[in-house]
Formats: sequence, structure tokens, C-alpha cells
Amino acid sequence: MVDFGTAELTLEMIQASQVGLKAVGAGLAVGLTGIGTGVAEMGIGAAAVGATAENKDMFGLALLFTVIPETIVIFGLVVALLLLF
Amino acid sequence: MLRPELMRRLLIAAPKGQIDAVIATLYKHNAYHIEDFVAESEAAVPVKIGMPRPGASDAASALIKIRAIENACGIDPDEVEIKQKIPAAKVRSIIERDLPALQHEVEELLAKRSRLEANQKESEQRARELEPFAAIPLDMEMYHGYERFSVLVGHIPKDIQIAVPHEKYFSDKVAGNIVVVIVQSSDREAVERTLLDAGFQAVPIPEETGSPQSRIDHYTKEVKQLEGEISDINRRIQDVKDRHGETLVACDELLTADVERAEAPLRFATTEETFVTEGWVPADGVEKVKEELVRAAGGKIYITEMEIENLNDVPVEYQNPSFAKPSQMLMDLYSRPKYTEVDPTLMVSIVFPLFFGLILGDVGYGLILLLLTFGLRKFFKAGEGRQLLISLRNASIASIGFGILFSEFFGFALPWEPIIYSRHLNIGGHASEHGAQVAELLIVSIWIGILHISLGRVLGIVNARKMYHGKHATKAMLANAGWLGTMWGILLMIWSLYAIPLMPDLTGLPMIAMGLNLAAVIGVVLLLGGIVAIAQENALEVVEIPTIISHVLSYARLTAVGLSSVAIALVINYIAIGMMIEPQLEEITVVGVLIIIVGILVFLLGHALNTALGILGGGLNSIRLHYVEFFTKFYKGGGKKYDPFGMEQKFTEE
Repeated sequence: MVDFGTAELTLEMIQASQVGLKAVGAGLAVGLTGIGTGVAEMGIGAAAVGATAENKDMFGLALLFTVIPETIVIFGLVVALLLLF
Repeated sequence: MLRPELMRRLLIAAPKGQIDAVIATLYKHNAYHIEDFVAESEAAVPVKIGMPRPGASDAASALIKIRAIENACGIDPDEVEIKQKIPAAKVRSIIERDLPALQHEVEELLAKRSRLEANQKESEQRARELEPFAAIPLDMEMYHGYERFSVLVGHIPKDIQIAVPHEKYFSDKVAGNIVVVIVQSSDREAVERTLLDAGFQAVPIPEETGSPQSRIDHYTKEVKQLEGEISDINRRIQDVKDRHGETLVACDELLTADVERAEAPLRFATTEETFVTEGWVPADGVEKVKEELVRAAGGKIYITEMEIENLNDVPVEYQNPSFAKPSQMLMDLYSRPKYTEVDPTLMVSIVFPLFFGLILGDVGYGLILLLLTFGLRKFFKAGEGRQLLISLRNASIASIGFGILFSEFFGFALPWEPIIYSRHLNIGGHASEHGAQVAELLIVSIWIGILHISLGRVLGIVNARKMYHGKHATKAMLANAGWLGTMWGILLMIWSLYAIPLMPDLTGLPMIAMGLNLAAVIGVVLLLGGIVAIAQENALEVVEIPTIISHVLSYARLTAVGLSSVAIALVINYIAIGMMIEPQLEEITVVGVLIIIVGILVFLLGHALNTALGILGGGLNSIRLHYVEFFTKFYKGGGKKYDPFGMEQKFTEE
């Protein structure tokens, strides 16, 4: 174990931890936005399935409504990609 | 192109004697969209809805019979192969001569089948009821016929003791255990209470004789025999389908036409001696329809073109080059264009495959999708399914094209460097020299968004000019221009503050005032002017201004969804090949071979999953960009579908 109190931090260690934190940030960006999208799609999806059960012609439109909150997770993905690459 | 087909409004009036000739002619042309007549109570002349032609109810009841037979035999007119058209006269004689016998045959088969099925159910039920008794060494006649004794049979969690004199059988060989208790009738209530306290559930005692097992065997045999008979009948029904399928769909078509023709007067206005109908005909077919009608009615007819009062009443028929026709399905899914507005089908048909290709730019996945669309052609012969298939085929071709440009094949690199920006992510240490050019790709997709949305706003201006009149039109046009100005104003301000690769660098322009340079000042002016222009139409719209940014950024999905699909492909390759197959190939052992097989499975399943995700992600996201980001800028929709009176004959010919 490294005792950060006394041991010298080398440049490599700092760089490595920065890369790691970036990866954590990217993960958080995708994960949290994913939860946001999921919560938003929950209600829409339930209503969409109900509407489709009533009228099969609704399927296309229902599918479309369901993917509208996808934008949130896509923004998260964009942020993650920008962080990582 | 870019607008629906021009329509003319026709008014046709003729003596009632000509009604059959007129209906037949209109039906043959399949171009006249009937405007249903609605009776008004305060009309000066007594005008009524017409009566169906004689023969309507006969044709309708014959049609119901045919549909019933088709239903029973599982014949779907959409799925029947067209070998040869049958002359109408022949079909009519078939309906007269053969139909009753055929109907009788099918009805008899169906009745017999439902009887047999009922018997089968009953036998199954009996066998099920007898099952618990097979565990008790008593014949069935031992269970009933007593005067002084009561027999209690049922399920019980565990064996129990009974205080009064009794005879008891218990078995745990059946599900839920079974207990049979025979007691004197005077003790019955007490024993029942004891049993119920122990969780007893009574089962009915079947009225049978002989040993339970032999009865069960008897019923099982009966069920088997009935099954054989039912499948025999199913074979005979299939035989009817094979022999008469084509004739039946031909009869169906002919009778449907008969019924539609006979019921047409229900949509006409009639007086004592004449009938009047209004409707729509595409402009290029008007003269021909008129000529034919005059000839058919022997000149005893009055046809006139009416002025179009309300443009929203005009039925809408697409007018597109043939390659764009499949995209009409994507348009109908959203909403059919109004008669007056720009029909964006052509743009969708070009841009949708491009977006799809940008997202799923991989030769391998593109080829799979292409093969899939060819394979599925058998199941979708016509209609929306077929159109969707053709749209997907075009999309898969675009996908292969972009795959060549991106140099991708199931996530592997093709033997050349990417011709446009690289999407090869550094996963598992197998990246090409440059790695992925994520930032560049994102900026390109943002550019696509800016241009696509600008196009949408320009179309919005065109639509406002076409759809509205006077002050309203000016206001709407100004508002659309305002949106365009606001967007470009914001862009100019961003460009003047930050130098972004692949975008104009305006940071170096001369400063003018308050730390703003020339571009920024123009940007501010455009922004403020834009906001004023938006607000003058509807002040509430101003709250929507942030959507400019979110809608443009939304186009980043073109890159983001694509990269996620690339990442999944790379991860699958890395796990399957890098971690499972390659290390084992160095030294082959028995376990190693197993791991290699698992690796191959991971590879196949993974790519199958990624193909499905890619089709779903690529298709939904690119159509969504159209519906949500593009159409909201200009498209109204809600046009009435053009539904001409007539039919394309598939199975019969006059």
C-alpha cells in the first residue's frame, strides 16, 4: 500500500488517477442519464403498450413516443465519448 | 414532387336509369374519390341518400359465406400467389354452382371437428379426475351405492388419525396426497370437521366402474384416437384450401367488388328521378373519366368541375418518383401531408437511409440486413410491410456504403484506412494508429443538424406562404425566419468566442464594442431580431428557444449511437477472439477446445444481438430525427387519405 501522506506522488501516478477519474466521470454520465431516460420511458412505455393493445395501428407512433427521452442518454453518451477520446 | 397530386372536384348528375353504367365506369377507372353525401334537413328540393342496388344483399351474404370458408381454412388473400387471373364469368358460375356444396362440406368438417374437440376435452377431464384414485387399491364401484356409510375423498397435507370406527386409505404417491375415509353416516359430520381442520380438500367421486387405472387407460386411448380423427379433419380442411384456395380468393374479390358497386348509391344524393354525386379525381385523369362517363351513359349525364372551397377537404395522394414511394409508409406513420403543404417524402427517402448508414456504418451488419430484407420478401408481398422492407433495404445499402468509408466489418478494420473519419475505438489494444476521431465526427453530425434544421425552417417559410393568407401568412413567415435568425445568431456568437475545429473560426475578427467582435455583433443582432420575430406571432413561443440548442445537439446521436454500436462490436471481438479463442490456439487442449467453442458462441450471439440493436437503434433514431427535429419545424400533416372508388383486380378479370 502506498502511504499518500509521506510517499512522493510520481507524475505517472497522477496521470493514471486522472485517467481513472475521467473513466468514472464517463461512467457516471452514461449511467445517470440512462436512469433518467429509463424513468422517463417508464410512463411513456406503459401508456404506449396500452394504446397499442387497444389499437394495433398505434404501434409505430407508440414506439416513436417511447424513444423520445432517448435524447437524454444520448447526451450522456456524447459527454462520455468526449471525456474518453 | 414535393407536393401532393393536384385534384379536381367533380359533380356528376344523371337520371337514375344510368346509375349502373355510371357506377361501373367509375369503379373500372379506380380514380374517383367519392365525397359522401350528407342529407340536410332544410334542403329546398327533397334530396335523399340513395338505396343500394338490387342484388346487394345477395352478394353480401355470399361474401360472408366465402369469408367464413376462407377463415376456417386459414386462407389470407394477401398471401395467395397469383398464378393466373380467372375470368369474371367463370367465377360467377363457380359462385352459383360450386359454392353451396363447398360451403356445406366445410361447415360439416368444422362441426365435426368442434364435436370431436369437445369429446376430447371431456375424456381428458375424466382421466384427470380419475388420476388420484389410481393410487388407492379400490375399484370405482366401491365408492358409491352405500346406504349407511359415507365415503369422503380428498387431498390432505398429511395422514391423520380418526377417532370413530372407519376404514381409511392414504397415499402420498399423487400430488397433494389422497385420503379415502369410509365412516358410518351418523359420524360423517364429526369426521368431516376433523378432516377439514387438517386441511382436507374434497374431490368429487367420478361415477365409474372397474379399476381406476384401467378407466384412465381407456380414456387416454380415447383421447389419442380423437386426436387422430381431428388431425384427419385438419388434413381434409387443408386439402380444401389447396384445391379451392385460388378460386375462393377470386370469388372474394369479385363479390367484394359487387358489394362495393351495389352499395355505392348509399353515398350519392338522389331525387325521384335523378342522382347526384360529388367527388375528387386527379387532375391528369379528369378528361378521360369525363369522356368515358359520357359514353357509358349515352350522353344522358351532366358533369361539371366545381371550385374547391375548402382546401382541407381535398383528399391527398402522394406524387413521388418510384424510388421514394416506400418512404410514404414512413410519412403515413406520422401523418399524411395536407393538400396545401410541401410533401417532404422525397427528402425523407434520401436522408433517412443516409442517417441510417451513418449510424450503422458497417459492411458486415449492412450485408446481414440486406440478406434479411431479401429473405423476408416472401412474407411481405404488398402493403406497408413491403414498403418498410424496401426502406430498410435502401438503408442497408447506405450502411454498406458508409461501412466501406469507415472501413468496418463486424468491428474489424477492412484492409484500408478509413476514407472519412475513423470510428475505430481503442478497445482491447487493437486500434489503428489514429484511433477514433470522435470530436470530428460529433462536429460533423452537429453540422448535419444545423443544415437539416435550417432546411426545415426554410420549408416552414414556404409552407406559411402556401397555407395561410394575408396577415397571418406574413406573421408565420416572419416567425420562421426569426427561428432561423436566432439559430444562426447563436452560432455566430459561439464561433466568435471559441475556435472549434471544422467550424468557421471567427475569433480573430476586429473588435467593435463591449468585447464583441464583428461576428458576435451580427450574431446578437440576428438573435434579438429573431426573438422579436418569434414573439410577434406568439409570445409564448419564446420559451421554446432553448430547443434550438437541444434539437441541434440531438443530431449528435448520429455519431454517438453509431460509436456505441462500434464499441459493442469491438468488445465482442475482444472477448471472443482476444480472450477466449486466440490464447487457446497456442496450445490446444481438451478444455481449450471447449473454451474455443464457447468463444465462437459468444461471437455469434454477440453479433446477432448487436445487429438487432443496430437495426433498432439506427432505424428508430434516424426516423426520430425526422419526426421530432425536422418535421416540427414546418410540417402540419393531417391530410385526408385519397381513397378512390374501385379496386385493382388481382385474381379476376372482366
